[in-house]
Amino acid sequence: MKQKALLLLLCAFCYFQGSAQIKVTGKVTDATTKETLIGVSVKIKNSATGTQTDVNGNYAFNVPPNSTLVFSYLGYKSQEVVYTNQAQINISLLSALNELDQVVVIGYGSQRKRDLTGSITSVSGEDISKSPNTNPLSSLQGRVSGLTLVNSGVPGEGPTLRLRGVISTNSSKILYVVDGVFQDNVDYLNSDDIESIEVLKDPSSIAIFGIQGGSGVIVITTKRAAKGKTRITFQSTVGVQTVPNQIEVADGDTFKRLYSAQLTNIGGEAFDYRNYNASTNWQDLILRDASLNTNNLSISKSGESSTTLINLGYSNQDGVVRNSGFKKYTARLNQEFNINKNIKIGGDINAFHYDRNPTDVTLNNALWAAPIVPVQFDENTYYSMPSFQRAQVGNPIATLNRNDNTSVNKGYRAVANLFAEIKFLKDFKLRSAVYTDLSFNGTRDYSALPYSFINLGETYSGVYSPTDTTYDASIYTSVAQRQDEFRKYQQDHTVTYDHTFNELHKVTALVGLSSLYTGSTTLNAFRRDNNLNIPNDPDFWYLGVVNNSSPSPTAGGGGAESSQMSYFGRVNYAFNNKYLVNTSIRRDGISKFAPQNRWGTFGSLGLGWVISEESFFKDVKSIDFLKLRAAWGTIGNANGFGENLYLPGLNTSDVGVFGDNVYPSVSPAYIPDPNLHWEVVRGFDLGIDFSALGQRLTGDIAVYDRTTKDILTYVEVPNDTKRLLTNLGTIKNRGVEVNLGFKDKIGDDFTYSINPNFSYNKNNVESIGDGFNFQLIGNGGANKTNSGSPIGYFYGYRQIGIYQTFSQMANMAVNSDGTSAPGDIAYEDVNEDGVITEADRVNLGNPVPDWNYGVSVNLAYKNFDVLAQGQGVAGNYVYTQRRTSRFAVINYESNRANAWTGPGTSNVEPILDNTRPNNYVFSNHYLEPGDYFRIRTLQLGYTFNNNKTLQKVAISNLRLYLSGQNLKTWSKTTGYSPEVPISSILGGGADNGVYPIPAVYTFGVNVTF
Amino acid sequence: MKLFNNRKKIYGTMLLLALVTIFAGCNEDFLDRQAQGSYNQDNYPYPGGSGPYDQFINGAYSTLNSYDVTVFAFVATTSMRSDDADKGSTAADSPNSKELDEFTVTPTNGLVNSLWLGHLNLVGKANYILDRIKNDPNPNTAPDLKIDAEAQARFFRAYAYFMLVRSYGRVPIIDSVTTGSASASNVPQSTPAQVYAFIENDLQYAAANLKPSYSDAFVGRITQGAANALLAKVYLQQKKYSLAMNTANLVMTSGQYDLSVDYSDIFDEEGENSKESILEVQATATPSVQTNFGTQYNQIQGVRGTGDWNLGWGFNVPSTALEAAYEANDPRKARTILYAGGKSLWGEDVPTGLPNPRYNNKISTPRDKQALIGSRSAWWMNIRLIRYADIVLVYAEAANEIGGAVNIAKAVDALNSVRARARREATVSGALPDIVSTDEEIVRNAIRHERRVELGMEHERFFDLVRYGTAATEMQAQGKSFTVGKHELLPIPQTQIDLSNGVLTQNFGY
Repeated sequence: MKQKALLLLLCAFCYFQGSAQIKVTGKVTDATTKETLIGVSVKIKNSATGTQTDVNGNYAFNVPPNSTLVFSYLGYKSQEVVYTNQAQINISLLSALNELDQVVVIGYGSQRKRDLTGSITSVSGEDISKSPNTNPLSSLQGRVSGLTLVNSGVPGEGPTLRLRGVISTNSSKILYVVDGVFQDNVDYLNSDDIESIEVLKDPSSIAIFGIQGGSGVIVITTKRAAKGKTRITFQSTVGVQTVPNQIEVADGDTFKRLYSAQLTNIGGEAFDYRNYNASTNWQDLILRDASLNTNNLSISKSGESSTTLINLGYSNQDGVVRNSGFKKYTARLNQEFNINKNIKIGGDINAFHYDRNPTDVTLNNALWAAPIVPVQFDENTYYSMPSFQRAQVGNPIATLNRNDNTSVNKGYRAVANLFAEIKFLKDFKLRSAVYTDLSFNGTRDYSALPYSFINLGETYSGVYSPTDTTYDASIYTSVAQRQDEFRKYQQDHTVTYDHTFNELHKVTALVGLSSLYTGSTTLNAFRRDNNLNIPNDPDFWYLGVVNNSSPSPTAGGGGAESSQMSYFGRVNYAFNNKYLVNTSIRRDGISKFAPQNRWGTFGSLGLGWVISEESFFKDVKSIDFLKLRAAWGTIGNANGFGENLYLPGLNTSDVGVFGDNVYPSVSPAYIPDPNLHWEVVRGFDLGIDFSALGQRLTGDIAVYDRTTKDILTYVEVPNDTKRLLTNLGTIKNRGVEVNLGFKDKIGDDFTYSINPNFSYNKNNVESIGDGFNFQLIGNGGANKTNSGSPIGYFYGYRQIGIYQTFSQMANMAVNSDGTSAPGDIAYEDVNEDGVITEADRVNLGNPVPDWNYGVSVNLAYKNFDVLAQGQGVAGNYVYTQRRTSRFAVINYESNRANAWTGPGTSNVEPILDNTRPNNYVFSNHYLEPGDYFRIRTLQLGYTFNNNKTLQKVAISNLRLYLSGQNLKTWSKTTGYSPEVPISSILGGGADNGVYPIPAVYTFGVNVTF
Repeated sequence: MKLFNNRKKIYGTMLLLALVTIFAGCNEDFLDRQAQGSYNQDNYPYPGGSGPYDQFINGAYSTLNSYDVTVFAFVATTSMRSDDADKGSTAADSPNSKELDEFTVTPTNGLVNSLWLGHLNLVGKANYILDRIKNDPNPNTAPDLKIDAEAQARFFRAYAYFMLVRSYGRVPIIDSVTTGSASASNVPQSTPAQVYAFIENDLQYAAANLKPSYSDAFVGRITQGAANALLAKVYLQQKKYSLAMNTANLVMTSGQYDLSVDYSDIFDEEGENSKESILEVQATATPSVQTNFGTQYNQIQGVRGTGDWNLGWGFNVPSTALEAAYEANDPRKARTILYAGGKSLWGEDVPTGLPNPRYNNKISTPRDKQALIGSRSAWWMNIRLIRYADIVLVYAEAANEIGGAVNIAKAVDALNSVRARARREATVSGALPDIVSTDEEIVRNAIRHERRVELGMEHERFFDLVRYGTAATEMQAQGKSFTVGKHELLPIPQTQIDLSNGVLTQNFGY
């Protein structure tokens, strides 16, 4: 009965053959690893009769004489064997060399890569795991064409990703779908626990995910239990991170020389340096070599009717800024079992815990602090900065030490899912899944007593104030507590129909329903103790430790709730593997809009033509596979803003004061637009996929055109501090992507592969405004967004030199206010009106790179393997905003040593004088080309295979490797890293004290038992 | 076999039907969500069911007490820019202020933008109140409450526009609430005359409908006296002398104000909301709420020393010109200027070697109050925006400018009443004698001098000089590069011109 039911399930058309049959048995293994394969389909050719291999890789069934057996298995090349009365037929299957036959995960299902009509890039878990990044997304850098990824060096902080450009002024966040759960971050994932990552780039691929996917979708699949016997793998790396380059700033003597020159230029009184004899390198003092350690233990068991996988991960990354660090603990249990042949249920539980030691001091503090100040006198007495920066710049080490270990910053997260799959009516499959994601983050912060500060003696107006020591007794100890709770509930129900008619028409149809609820609650409070000194010990850092004689706590709290619901359907049709049609439709509703604007219908259509299947192509021997594809799709987008903004919200935090009486007050929080509605992303994609030279060369090339209409954006309106949130404007992204791969072997022992990719994206704001043609301004006016230019481009003056003499200036355009003087930056008089005014500002470049490229090279010789991976960007600029601060006298970066001091001394660096606004307005003086190329990974590994000694201790496989990350960067930027934040859409690209991206040297071991 | 197959089919069909039911039954209420933990206009629990008026008015008071309206940009553009005060602080701190002090200001100056936006924000708050009164006919609200609310709102709008028109000249008149699109706020500039007419209209309504005073629970609210006082100043600035004199007279005869408070007490804690006070930004603090109910007006001007003398940022320091303006033995000088190396009002030694030789003494606060609140930055100190003596001198100036023996005599009487109050605290007899003259020019100069020393560091000086027409000569005498016809006004902020896409146009010379 069981056997028959199985047959029923497998067969499309049941023909029972009546003739004499003979029982055949055998075993199926992997040709490379020699491991047994479970669930391999064994069929009689041109019939539906067949079976599957069991958990030991064995099969047995009755076959008629002279029949041909077909062995097929997902991800492997099919093999055919003619049955000639062998007693046993043992088969080793070769892994599918043709990656086009691999299956990729698409929304609510999977599809052979050869049947895709959209642009999807797959990255294997193995590739992710090879880079010692604690966040798996970081490992995508340079591996996916069309993806701009900006890493952060801050321990525990994830990267910023942009796929095929910025699609909206409001939010351009990518949707992550992790084993079906919609996520906006994947911090909880263990990099070593990833099976594969699929990057869905074009609207037709994205459309099935709807609402949140407008900027692109990254589908992450975690590992399942490996087929076969119980397997235990352990991976561990230890490493050290170093800061590759410091920012060059003046030492003590140079500082004195430059500051004195500056005072002379300003006409200020000479500074009295008599007590300032130090030459402190503050960067040296706050930076360090930091350790990195990652560990992963995975245990899996696969039985006849159930599979189990347990994964444990622990990583500890110290920050290269002293005292910062991030510990990450992950655990996952995956269990799936078959109730009977038709019903499978299963689920996952992910647990995640972090323990963060936040950064205690800003990098700018170390860059800005005057080097002439000694660090400290004793444990509790530090030197304060000189009077010219005392109020604005603190002693970085005093700040660092006072803040050290004053925060308990931990989070807990559980992501779980349960699913059931029921197969019915032969070709139908119902899958129901419920998901939840709950996280609880909390911090307890302590503010310690201040140190004593020595103010070194200085002279003002001829009067010497001697050195004194001050202690600020008005500062008390205090504690702050914060608790955040995030909730997510999601359910997906789909019915899939899969049938191949006449072996020609392959149809996969899907209908589904999905709903998603997200909510959050936050609570925070602060309390100061005016009577007692709360000890510097986390045991006491609770609000309740403070006696009621002290002021009552100040507290805050808030929350958010949002929900969305969707119905969707999809039909994938392939005719004879030759003509492909993939189409989907989706109706989305979201709580953010007014009821009449809540629902939208979106859809996609993809067409493909596999030319290589055509008979006329059979003679083209050098090309194995060639497909042309075109896809179109629309997606509704509603990301990055809160609920009910179509209603007139109130700001209720201000008060009305009358005498000593305090009353509540309200005022409008923003300018509401009652007609808020969907942003709509429309895109068109054209591509070629090919494989040639005996499948050694593979590649795909795509061009795309994606337009977002009715963009939801906060508009800064003139003459008002309130912002208007409305649907406004159109943005277009166009680009081209190329992925290539070449692999081959030389002799039996040497294999190599090389995988380059590059992409180009051009972003253009087609229109912004409802007849007003407003511009959106970012980062204090350095970035601008308006029609006809890329979003958030740099907007300012263009430097043409330095004014050298007044007589030279007589022939040049100068400032309209007549304040220009020799030594000032001369700007281009763009409109040629003879004066420099705001009208002379121009587009100075783009903060987002136009070009992204990457290349990885894999070499293997016998048991040695080498991985080299590099990545770069081009076409963008970096704004050195850290240099533009003039609120106080700050330390000089090396460029200022070459400042103009008289005619002919410099045509680049203006005079040392921070009171001349002309030299601090935004211009390309503060821009650096952002192009860089970085060696991301260089790795050498050695694998012990079938080693007798190791096998005695039950080790079946052992790999040791040395790895270096970010070893070398070619860049023209002067900051710690050319990867400056682009997370602000309207004001990105500024280096305002970017955390260094460390070079990481690691030793690692992978063991399989 | 067949039977089995049929049973499968039945189960399968049932499953499909169940799914259809699930799909169809999904409840649309699932998509109804509220913003969590925040109110909107319609679900705010207005106290006593009274409607929104009071609550929105309190919001306007909060804006009056905001950083851009009465703190940094205000102090920098009115005081540091005048010849009463220098920028102060350390040489390189706040280059934006330095530009204002030295008349090198450019359209990208951040304070110029802050002042613009701060006051238009106050205009927006006022417009919102007016909109609610018009469009939210709450039956529970007594009509007089609505009228009082409208009068206060229109006062705020007039206050903001008076500051804007004096600072920028041509400004856009915005008299409605912006909804849905930006068009309501992107309007071209009106001429100063149109702006003044708009201000007068608002203030006339306010003066006619506001209460003369409020109970202690609402002390410091806008009164009829405040509306008349501001209107008198508006008339005076336009040199509408008769209207200014008559309106000032309404304040002087209202019975609400007099010169009974000693000069040195006006700026003390006890001087808050006294008989001297016509318009005062209200601020308070408690040990647990040190800043939220207050203003940073004091902190930005506090002595920039160390230890106990780390009282603030040290901006807006009295100039040598102001120092020299006082007559001998004028007790007001000591209440206005604090000297490094001198004595504080409470007898403490002020350290030598501070970054600036002089600081604003009108914002000094006693140590016991600092200790009580637990802060040396006196966020609790009210800002005296319009004092009674100001209006008495407005009266005197207007009367004298109208001229004629009777009016000049009235002007001299008013002038002498202010001097008499100051004289009460003189330690030397014969200090600050009465002015005795019938000559319009002598009296004019005496009034101008009196305004300067009576209202030193109180934000009047720059606008006074512009009204006198002597701004250029006085500023150039201080060695400042003041250009006639340009520097009387600030540039229109470039950010706003950019945002308006050219609807706003720049002032002459910038």
